[in-house]
Amino acid sequence: MNRTTLRFAALASAATLVLTACGRDDDNEGTASGPGITSEPCPDAVDDSKGCIYLGVISDLTGPFAPVGVPLTAGGKAFWDKVNADGGIGDYEVNVTEYVRDNKYSPDTHAQVYGQIKDKVLAMAQSLGTVATEAMLRDADAESLVVLPATLGSNWIFEDRVTEIGTSYCAEAMNSVDYGVDELGATGVAAIHFEGDYGDDAAVGAKIAAEARDVDFTDITMAPGGDAAPVVAELMRSKANLVVISTSPTELAQVVGGAAQAGFRGKFIGSIPTWNKALLGTPAKPALEALYLWASSFPGWDADTAGHEAMRAAAEAAKQDPNEYFALGWSGAYVMKAALEKAIEDDDLSREGLLKAATSLTGVDSQGMLPDGSGNYAGDPNEAAVRSTFLLKPAETGSSGATVEVDAFTGPTAEGYDFKEACYLQK
Amino acid sequence: MTEFLTAISAGTGNGAVYALLALGFVIIYKSMQVISFAQPAFMMAGAVLVSYLAPKVGFVGAVILGTISIAVVALIVERVAVRPMVGKATFVIAIITIGIDIVVRVVTGAFIGVDPLVLGDPWGLEVVKVGGVNVEERHLAAFLVAGVVVGLLLLFFRYTSLGLAMRAAALDQEAAMAQGVNVGTVFAVSWGLAGGLAAIAGVFAAAGDPITNNFWIIGLAALPVIILGGLDSFGGAIVGGLVIGIAESVVASYHSVWFPFLDKNIGTLVPFLLMFAVLLVRPYGLFGTKEVERV
Amino acid sequence: MTVSPVARSRRSRPLRGRPELYTSYRQDMALLNTRGKRVSVLLMVLVAAVLPMLLTDEFLTIAATGMVFAIGAIGLNLLTGYAGQVSLGHAFFVGVGAYTAAYLSGDPDGRYLGLGVDNVLIWLPAAGLVAAATGFLVAPIATRLRGLYLAVVTLGLVFIGEYVFSEWRELSGGGGIGREAATPILFGNNLARDGASYTEEQKLYWLFLVTLIVLAVLARNLARSKIGRAFAAVRDRDVAAGVMGVELSRYKLIAFTVSSFYAGVCGALMFVGVGQFGPTQFGLLMSIQFIAMVLIGGVATISGSIMGAMLIAALPRISSELPALFSFISTAPNEHPNIFEIEQVTYGVLIVAFLLFEPRGLFGIWWRARTYWKSFPFSY
Repeated sequence: MNRTTLRFAALASAATLVLTACGRDDDNEGTASGPGITSEPCPDAVDDSKGCIYLGVISDLTGPFAPVGVPLTAGGKAFWDKVNADGGIGDYEVNVTEYVRDNKYSPDTHAQVYGQIKDKVLAMAQSLGTVATEAMLRDADAESLVVLPATLGSNWIFEDRVTEIGTSYCAEAMNSVDYGVDELGATGVAAIHFEGDYGDDAAVGAKIAAEARDVDFTDITMAPGGDAAPVVAELMRSKANLVVISTSPTELAQVVGGAAQAGFRGKFIGSIPTWNKALLGTPAKPALEALYLWASSFPGWDADTAGHEAMRAAAEAAKQDPNEYFALGWSGAYVMKAALEKAIEDDDLSREGLLKAATSLTGVDSQGMLPDGSGNYAGDPNEAAVRSTFLLKPAETGSSGATVEVDAFTGPTAEGYDFKEACYLQK
Repeated sequence: MTEFLTAISAGTGNGAVYALLALGFVIIYKSMQVISFAQPAFMMAGAVLVSYLAPKVGFVGAVILGTISIAVVALIVERVAVRPMVGKATFVIAIITIGIDIVVRVVTGAFIGVDPLVLGDPWGLEVVKVGGVNVEERHLAAFLVAGVVVGLLLLFFRYTSLGLAMRAAALDQEAAMAQGVNVGTVFAVSWGLAGGLAAIAGVFAAAGDPITNNFWIIGLAALPVIILGGLDSFGGAIVGGLVIGIAESVVASYHSVWFPFLDKNIGTLVPFLLMFAVLLVRPYGLFGTKEVERV
Repeated sequence: MTVSPVARSRRSRPLRGRPELYTSYRQDMALLNTRGKRVSVLLMVLVAAVLPMLLTDEFLTIAATGMVFAIGAIGLNLLTGYAGQVSLGHAFFVGVGAYTAAYLSGDPDGRYLGLGVDNVLIWLPAAGLVAAATGFLVAPIATRLRGLYLAVVTLGLVFIGEYVFSEWRELSGGGGIGREAATPILFGNNLARDGASYTEEQKLYWLFLVTLIVLAVLARNLARSKIGRAFAAVRDRDVAAGVMGVELSRYKLIAFTVSSFYAGVCGALMFVGVGQFGPTQFGLLMSIQFIAMVLIGGVATISGSIMGAMLIAALPRISSELPALFSFISTAPNEHPNIFEIEQVTYGVLIVAFLLFEPRGLFGIWWRARTYWKSFPFSY
């Protein structure tokens, strides 16, 4: 090494020491009592005298699940806009728009954007994608992060930090099978499903129920955007007359339409994400009307409750077409609101305080939007798991293209089932 | 047996779509020696455009307008982003088309929006009975229209001076230029034709089913088709398209019988597995010309 | 500081005041052949090493992601940039590396396959080697093909890989569910947990930095060796290279194997910080992302690969600043155009724009800037 290089090396090492001694600035930007809470008003505040609570949203906004993530995000925003207009929570207003990030349904993108916002939000008002959410919860910085999930997998009942809402896909599929066996005389059940936390969860629920009810069971995996013809061929070969289907609306239309052509005479019962009003404009409409029921733990867009009324008004103001994900985004926010109110009441508005408040909730006032028994995060997972299901029927008269056909019920299988781990893991 | 024939009829319909897409690839390849990875995006754009136009001008009018519009878009793209690169390494141009694919797809995706989009075709899910087998009208239509389009293309290449110029340029670009063929026009026309073919393929791929953001993936299946048939062979594109369409459909239908131990349907892999098998025996595809290189 | 012994030897010592005068071939080929390079590389490494003391976790994570991407991009650049073999299959080899690492370090009693070997020094090279072995097996098919045939065949590899990964649930957990990534234990210290003195982000950053430096130097050395020259010959005209006695299949095989090694190491590290990954990660999009890094950074340059990877890693962060500059871009995902769409489009536009206007990529821009200042004030 020549002398100049040596001189530079010495200089650089000295610089290193100085910089190291400085350390880095890890302080949050003037927060009152932790990340995501400021005494400054929100950027678009209704009342400038109030402080601001920032909640993060990481969703799929451009990827394969954008049709879920986009309206869900809009629903949450509409809810908090209303809360803020009505005077906020305590001395605060709530902002869910400042820290919205797109994960493109990829866990590493999710982690990266979480890194961007984690010091700036109190909790997550939405986190879409099971792999991604579980990875995020594993992060040391998420030790007491309260998360509202965007999926209804049965895994969340085992996670304290996640305030799940509604009936899991798994319990819902059990109810669908029970209904099929008891009311429709089903003798063989097929599950047509995507792979992963959503489809597998429903398929395993259907399988558990089929075994409990002693009927045949066939498992058919379908890829998103996959060809429906082979799925229909397998279905016809299986001789099943009840199908529990958990795909997206496109595949639903393809499969039900194809099955009708092939002379299928049973019934399809679909999970929440299978329905979209636009399907009534597709060629599959007659088939759907004849063969399809939509299972949901929420009573549908037109339900006559105070919550639904407020939501419909907000949706109209936001020029949002009736969309069940919008409703879901709105309904879930009641849980976050209850937890925030509890934390403020306990005078402990911080991540730890919020987690403590959330896990002590035994019920949530959702103005009738959430199913009975929702919002119980205090008890053991099996006590807390919601298990009731509505069945809806496609109909032009319903704003979201469906009307309630069977009121909320809980089948014998789901009623007595003891959840030990997430259903989809048992596949 | 009925089941088998049903699978074959569905496969023929899909195969016709693949063949149309593959023809677009081959036309571009023959004129520029480049694979355009933007074809799937043009296919999606075509289907979305038709679905927007169909309620206003009727389905047939929408298909014609949509095809022409996508052809024009492809022309513009060629002029702006591809022409400046002529003469550079082919893979660089191929990668440019990947960039174009991304841009076109995102813009199209914004028009699809959140709800599934309906094409507005007249066939829907109707079927015709042919000897006890349900043949879907949309598959029949795809097959017939593909036949007509191929026929028109052949006539175009055979009897028009532009077609002759394109064939000449494909054979030997420099010699064609020396004979006064405007190679720039040939490039432009080949992109326009490929764009139009992609749009028609998109219409038939979307017929009956709602369109979503994942729609373009169907277009990727045309890549193994052209490799299987040979990058520079029209006949290869048509035969390859039908073979792959039918093989995919049959394997997918019998997946649970033949491969009960596999969970996910292996039908989607058939195009690629067939391609590998053929390439092991014939590195330039079934009907491709072996490249002769001089140093 | 590595100054090759040759550069120091008396016989080829550079003449004082004439830095560009080389008196021997080896001196010309030396890694750091001018004093300016020696100093700037030293400074850059030092700055990179102290960066974790200065940056917040947010920027540190972006830089760390960029370094992991850079390892993969260097691998692809060796294959595509140096040896001219276009591969759309890089994501497959990244996946092989990720699963090898996760398998080795996974809990043997856990839900998914695992051996419980969580020492970085074992699973990191092993991930590279297994990926390299896979590349070695695939290469004979690939070496029969040329140009775009190869591109499409390697694309097929990605689809087959994605199928196998998600079908093999015991290993991968299945699509949409995933499994835990490898645990980085180095000298008894878990780098993926906050420690007493340093955070997770800082420790991982240093791990990635060291790996990147080692692999980048190795790649640079390979590129200036006999093998690197053979690669260039194959790329520029493979028939001519064959006639001159370069054994084509042998060098294509080497290129594939080495490139896959880099991809494997990249994959092993890619999800260490995140902690969880699923099989759908290793799709066509990832392959395109690596191609974008190579092209935007600069074909056939190591430093370009690093620059390209950094830019791609920072792209989401950069595009999140856009609405502040352009008011017509919305931040609400249900309005168009929104920042999330703009970010996606930016990928495409960057690829096209760089290839059209700056085919040598970021490296080319840097090169011209450097030349300008070097000859200042006589630059033109």
